[in-house]
Amino acid sequence: MQALNRHIHTGWLIIAPLLLMVVALYLGPILNILWLSVTDPEPGFGNYAKLTEGDALIRIVWTTVRICIITTVFSVIFGYSIAYAMVHCHQRQKTYMLTLLLVSFWISILVRTFAWLMLLGRKGLVNVTLEDIGLVAEPIAFMRNELGVLIGMVHYMIPYAVLPLLVSMQSIDQRVMDASRNLGASGSQTFWRVYLPMTMPGLVASTLLVFILSLGFYVTPAVLGGGKVLMVAEYISVQLLVTLKWGTAAMLAAIMLFGVLAMLWIMSRFMKLSTVFGGAAR
Amino acid sequence: MHDKQFKKEMLAESARAFRAGRMDRRTFLALCGASGVAMNAVLAGDAEAAADHVVMWNWGGQSEECHGSAIGEAFTAKTGKGLKFDTSGPLEGKIKEMVDSGNVTADVADADLFNAVSLGPTGHLEPIDYSVVSKEKTLPGYALEYGVSIILYGYAFVYDTEAYGDNPPQNWADFFDTEKFPGTRALYKWANGSLEAALMADGVAGSDLYPLDMDRALNKIQSIKDDSLYWGSGSEVHSMVVNNEVSMAIIWQNRGRNIENDTDGQYKLVNNQAMAMPGAYIVPKGNPAGAAVMDFIATAQDIPAQLALLDCLGMTPSNPEAFDQIPEDQQPYAITSAMNIDKIVYNDPEWWGKNGGDAVNAFLEAIS
Repeated sequence: MQALNRHIHTGWLIIAPLLLMVVALYLGPILNILWLSVTDPEPGFGNYAKLTEGDALIRIVWTTVRICIITTVFSVIFGYSIAYAMVHCHQRQKTYMLTLLLVSFWISILVRTFAWLMLLGRKGLVNVTLEDIGLVAEPIAFMRNELGVLIGMVHYMIPYAVLPLLVSMQSIDQRVMDASRNLGASGSQTFWRVYLPMTMPGLVASTLLVFILSLGFYVTPAVLGGGKVLMVAEYISVQLLVTLKWGTAAMLAAIMLFGVLAMLWIMSRFMKLSTVFGGAAR
Repeated sequence: MHDKQFKKEMLAESARAFRAGRMDRRTFLALCGASGVAMNAVLAGDAEAAADHVVMWNWGGQSEECHGSAIGEAFTAKTGKGLKFDTSGPLEGKIKEMVDSGNVTADVADADLFNAVSLGPTGHLEPIDYSVVSKEKTLPGYALEYGVSIILYGYAFVYDTEAYGDNPPQNWADFFDTEKFPGTRALYKWANGSLEAALMADGVAGSDLYPLDMDRALNKIQSIKDDSLYWGSGSEVHSMVVNNEVSMAIIWQNRGRNIENDTDGQYKLVNNQAMAMPGAYIVPKGNPAGAAVMDFIATAQDIPAQLALLDCLGMTPSNPEAFDQIPEDQQPYAITSAMNIDKIVYNDPEWWGKNGGDAVNAFLEAIS
């Protein structure tokens, strides 16, 4: 027993059941999907070869990536501004802002999606008002197109962008900025050269979170895109439920998985990813 | 939806374990509590199919109530067996998954006839027993080995009378003519009906549609791509029409009445060249109630059930004997009523069963 203890820390005994659960509940199904992608309908890499036959699948993947990048950029910019304001305003305002943020965070995605339709649809509040005061002759097409999808997705993603940034900004020692000003840096210099670099881990964390979550969006594009904005998640669901091409679905899921892993790997070349996930820098 | 399905399966499983004594009462109650379900509901087991009842797998909403009153009551009176529901929607992928997993909990699925063509030969369905079910009580060609059409639904279109009041669109050619009839169109996202409409608009006769000329159909659809939206559910197209987002929309014809009412007659249904779609009952392989389900299907074919489904759900009878009993006020909205039957075309489930998957993908790729 003692010999065993020397090699294996007893702590592992406590972790082992959880570890087994993770393996059984996450790794198992993922392996199953990878397996499906090379065995259904017939063994081989036929499903992956489909990516090179014709441009349809590539176009769907590209649409997805493009929309996710735009969503991420806007969500993180808005999120950064909101988090910055929250950290620097009075406690009372901060509580209000946080409450509002969390309330919208908790509202179901379906409700939030349809709310945009009510607000910006052809007969929505905004268009009707604009027409009534004579600003526009024809309703503006905010919804049922890519713009609509982007509005819906950015709105949904902002809380996800704010929360990691807020944590990161709150942990910064404000005296560093004072020191920077004291040493003669201007306000904007202090921001760009001192504050922004210090919030970088939070910025990366929120970018990753928003981008990866955006990749799986299904409801928003389906409702606000008017059927013409086809993203991978919806396509996968059609392959699973309607056309029964499970191999194609598994292949696309695998591509997304490897895409995300590749992204994480590339980022790990440039920075310590552990800082992003709350670990120490060293 | 998947959460719901998962919880239900988990509870059904634990209910079995509890009854078999493999799980203690406390654990079972805790599981029920954790998923927010009253225990009685589980013990009664809406997913538990046993010999004393038949489980119907449908799309929820109104259909639960309507299938119960239109078919369930007569079935119970005839056989003494009850009717229970699984309302999670029998999409083809879900049926396949259910049968492949070996945990079949539904007896009859309210599906499309083309599902019978695609899932039957792959061993996912029980053959229909035509000694119990009647081939005469449905349209010719709609009684197949693995499924029988019980109702018909249809793809017709509605148009905005305020936009085209004086010179209304008459047929699919007008629907696809955005020069003569400017405005946005709404089409069905999953290809069905939209492809046939495009071909008829392009000059193909309703009787010569199949096999569908995909390239020709997709070309026609792409010709109005900039002026079109695509819907995936009945409620979605309903809101597109009611909110005036489109000036013409392909719709499920049984929605015509609701749309005309909700828009105070601003939108009007056109049944000319409407496509009749056979909605069918199919039986997942190894269904728990066994052969008893055939009695249920036979009950649904009877004229009273057929007319009750029309009254309650707006689904048109597929039993030809019921056609001339369609009430006056339902005539415009029932696809095989005397008023419409000479104007309509019929869907070919064989073609869709064999080519549907590829057709849906080609369509999605063309519109995205």
